Amino acid sequence: MTQTMVAGRRFSAQAVAGVVVAIVAAILVLYPVFFLLQAALDVGDPDVRPPTAYGFSNFGGLLQYPQIIFNTLGVSFIATALALVFGFMLAWILTRTNVPGRRWLEPLMVVPFYLTPLLGALAWSMLGSQESGFINQFWRALGGSGYIIDANTAYGIAWVMALFEGSVAFVMISAVMKSMDPSLEEASQVMGASRWRTMLRITLPLVIPGVLGAAIFVFAEMLGSFAAALVLGSPNRFYVVTTAIYQLTQQYPPKIPLAAAMGASLFIVMFVMLFIYRWIVTAGSYVTITGKAFRPRVNDVGRLRYFLLALCLLYLFVAVVLPLATLMYASFQKLAVAFPTADNWTLNNYRTAMSMNAVRSALSNSLILGLATATIGVLLMTLLSWLIYRAKLPGSSIIEYVVMFPQAVPRLVFAFGIMWAWLVSPIPIYGTLWLLLIAYITVFLPLGIRTISGVMLQVDKSLEECAQMCGAPWGYRMRTVTVPLLWPGLIAAWLLLFIASIRELGASILLMGPHSKVITPSIVESWNATSSELTAAMALIQTAVVAVAVAILLALTRRVGGHTRMD
Amino acid sequence: MPVPQNSTPSAATSGTHIAVENLQIHYGTVLAVRGVSFTVEQGEQLTLLGPSGCGKTTTLRAIAGLEKPTSGEIRIGGAPVYSSARKVNLPAENRGLSMVFQSYAIWPHMTVFENVAYGLRVRRESKAEIEAKVDRALDMVQMRPYRDRRASQLSGGQQQRVALARAFVFSPSVLLFDEPLSNLDAKLRGDMRIELRELQHRLGITSVYVTHDLEEALAMSDRIVVMRDGVIEQVGTPNEIYNLPRNAFVADFVGSANLISGRHRADLDTDGLVAIETAGGDIVYGSAYGRPIGDTATMSVRTVHFKFSTQRPAGERNVWPVKVDRMVFQGDFTQVHVTWSGQHLVIRCAALEPTEGAHDAFMSVDPRRVVLLEAEKAGA
Repeated sequence: MTQTMVAGRRFSAQAVAGVVVAIVAAILVLYPVFFLLQAALDVGDPDVRPPTAYGFSNFGGLLQYPQIIFNTLGVSFIATALALVFGFMLAWILTRTNVPGRRWLEPLMVVPFYLTPLLGALAWSMLGSQESGFINQFWRALGGSGYIIDANTAYGIAWVMALFEGSVAFVMISAVMKSMDPSLEEASQVMGASRWRTMLRITLPLVIPGVLGAAIFVFAEMLGSFAAALVLGSPNRFYVVTTAIYQLTQQYPPKIPLAAAMGASLFIVMFVMLFIYRWIVTAGSYVTITGKAFRPRVNDVGRLRYFLLALCLLYLFVAVVLPLATLMYASFQKLAVAFPTADNWTLNNYRTAMSMNAVRSALSNSLILGLATATIGVLLMTLLSWLIYRAKLPGSSIIEYVVMFPQAVPRLVFAFGIMWAWLVSPIPIYGTLWLLLIAYITVFLPLGIRTISGVMLQVDKSLEECAQMCGAPWGYRMRTVTVPLLWPGLIAAWLLLFIASIRELGASILLMGPHSKVITPSIVESWNATSSELTAAMALIQTAVVAVAVAILLALTRRVGGHTRMD
Repeated sequence: MPVPQNSTPSAATSGTHIAVENLQIHYGTVLAVRGVSFTVEQGEQLTLLGPSGCGKTTTLRAIAGLEKPTSGEIRIGGAPVYSSARKVNLPAENRGLSMVFQSYAIWPHMTVFENVAYGLRVRRESKAEIEAKVDRALDMVQMRPYRDRRASQLSGGQQQRVALARAFVFSPSVLLFDEPLSNLDAKLRGDMRIELRELQHRLGITSVYVTHDLEEALAMSDRIVVMRDGVIEQVGTPNEIYNLPRNAFVADFVGSANLISGRHRADLDTDGLVAIETAGGDIVYGSAYGRPIGDTATMSVRTVHFKFSTQRPAGERNVWPVKVDRMVFQGDFTQVHVTWSGQHLVIRCAALEPTEGAHDAFMSVDPRRVVLLEAEKAGA
């Protein structure tokens, strides 16, 4: 055995692949960010690239549009407040009270998250537009005049977003409530404090950091949200910062530097907010986040529990059932009205959707992209997770920061950077599916790595070390121990990436070319250009594809629970 | 029990198998192991003993190849597997060792058979060979009936046995144990201790064992290396470690000991015994076992080596009246807390009925059981 050689060989066997992958990831993330910033600082001749002069005057241009900033903040505040009310209420009901059916209600609360804001916006537009909205039609049929709700306003956008983000807030806040040691409250009661005093002096202070964290997280997401504002706001020329960026790049002539400056500002604001969020959940909270799950104390709320059950069901109805039913109802009509006549029913919308070339190719493009993104993504992200969390290589925390970067950038803004970067690239992939693939993998890096590393950290390190002690070389170890143990997590990550790709709008709408259309932007195009009935049919077809993937995912994660908890 | 001699022991001494020389290991900026050297003989069972954070597991993992040392040298069978000077660092899988992990590290996605067969499959042995060897190994740990079970369906003790079979089935040259019994309950731990020891004897395999449990170390080892804060405090047979602790740390960590300090009274030294006078003016005779003695000295007496009686025992040396503070009944023995010469001492007596309240009694000790300790190094 040539022992002196082996030290060097070991290093290359494990690390070289890892280092290459890390570099690829860094390029994927940092290259577009660089071009975004370059465009934002470009104050020279707009037709010449690279820029002839740099400066900050583009950012000054933002102040010419105070309305947009005002709109964005307004919508975000309203939606965040609403989402927190929903999330806190549901979390409290489902973790701390004896509401009937808690066991099956809890997983259902996540469903609104799988229905996209786009779907919600389409449905609520049909329900609540001034003239043709179903609810307003009912109102007039009941003898009212004019309209009672208007979805095409800031409130409408905030409402749709709040229904969606409420489910996110629920997950975050209920996690905090579950991780709180019930003995802290019991101690207070043993010392003689009343139930109310315990609630005010013990429970609330312990939960507040978690709620605050959720608030900042949701607010940051709201600032970058796009779909609802696009569908509900654009027809009335009501713009928030993301839809304004989109408008500025699509209009003629485009105002690229201004759009870039808006994107860069949004990116900086969100980055700061997510930084504060991280600070709150790590440093700001004391006892509640221990990662340990307790069985929370359940309050007996007596007859009130049926009222609380009704509240939960109401949320599910408004966030899931009503939007889906509305779209379904509309998709089977020739002309969507609240009170259809018998000859108004039709299957034609589905027939048209499936026979339209544009839709068919968009759907198949999306499926191909979904498969490719998920497969390549899982490979890349597994290696990255392993590199960051397992291999003790120097600089792995820097790599972690880089790959988690896209989280702080709205996908639309990131896509702007990608578009700007690849327009000047000599590799001719602009306007092809390849560019979309690169974009998807980049923007979903945080999603995939969080999922995979979560499973990876659950698997005891000694399981791999033991294989090593049995004499298995790196590749053999990976194949026989590491990958099989990670398998359930990898499949979950694959499905999540697939779902995310199929639903993606913000990046796709900027990057898809005329011959590389994908489904979600096509739905938006159809909404703007053709009929709402056809759009409803397309949205439901997309939802069905996603639903199948979600069903597999849920079945799988449930079965897997027992297996990974092993060690 | 014979009084120990200061001899070099070892079960089988047919040459050095593992040599660790001046090993240093950093954990980030912390120096976890600070220049440790020891050897393990062929077929010997050596235990690294010490409190948590003393560097024993880190040292073991360095031998395994799972931890990269900062400097020093590790040789197995004469060939360096790690050497900072020669820039050698053989990966763990090429060192030909095997290891039993604290968490057992039983692969949950494989059956018992597949777990045990793993090392043989890595070595590309034939199917028949693998079957035979795995069955023989499972027989040795009495796990043959569980051959086709999923590893996740086993109890802690069963997982432990599978982990053991998996570790020795491919005849590694060395077996490493990282606190393998610490996750078992007390009774099972006692049984497994004996089984492990017997198995090790039957296999005749060189092994390095890490534990913080004194009884385990005493029961299972040919030799013990006591570590503290990344350095070796003492190396010796279980008998030596227990009866002749080198310093106050070893005396205290390895079982319970009473420490008595005083001024050396060379004028009273007789019969090969050394005498010290405590601050309270009592004279204590002890044995130096060849260790140098200074002007002041500390002696160690095991709590079980004091004799306690209500009548004055015969003899003059090392017999003192004591004041009993309290007696604590602990089942197999009674712990007597006494005040003597201005300090508190603890005596363990087997089969003694505890009596109520403080009263006077007598305490005596064989001078050979009063062990002179080496002076603590400055700063330690």
